[in-house]
Amino acid sequence: MAQAVQKLVSKVPGMINATVAYSKPRLATFWYYARVELVPPSPAEIPKAIQEATNLVKGLQAGRLGQTTVREAVRNGLVATEVLMWFYIGECIGKGGIVGYDV
Amino acid sequence: MLPPVAVSPLIKTARYSALIAGIIYGKKRYDYLKPIAAEERRIEEEEKKIQEEQARIAKILAEANEDTILK
Repeated sequence: MAQAVQKLVSKVPGMINATVAYSKPRLATFWYYARVELVPPSPAEIPKAIQEATNLVKGLQAGRLGQTTVREAVRNGLVATEVLMWFYIGECIGKGGIVGYDV
Repeated sequence: MLPPVAVSPLIKTARYSALIAGIIYGKKRYDYLKPIAAEERRIEEEEKKIQEEQARIAKILAEANEDTILK
């Protein structure tokens, strides 16, 4: 029993090295994309965002809704769903747990 | 590897404001639910004590009332 535990413990540094070696390139890819795509908006971009939003509303009012292709509509739906999911992630952070409120 | 996509500013602001709104909402709801849960737990404790008391009394009565000549 003690020997089995010793053998397991001696394998841990090897496992840690293997994990690091595995995750390094994948982490690099993640950072490569996240530094451009997941970065929060700089203060200069916020007025542009407001402009885009007003353009969207105006386009909606001008009746462009009937001219969107199904492909565009599905893509917009997916983007909207992703934005909604960020809200739920924020809620999980705020309540300090993943499932349910820990009262 | 494809180059990273330039995300539109509207989507970026929407994502991060949704995140912050979610954090605030989660915190507020947690603070609202916590005293309610504490109150419910307190009430349940008291009722459990009363139930235990009654069970104890019922047991004593039942023991006193059983008459059999086999004792």
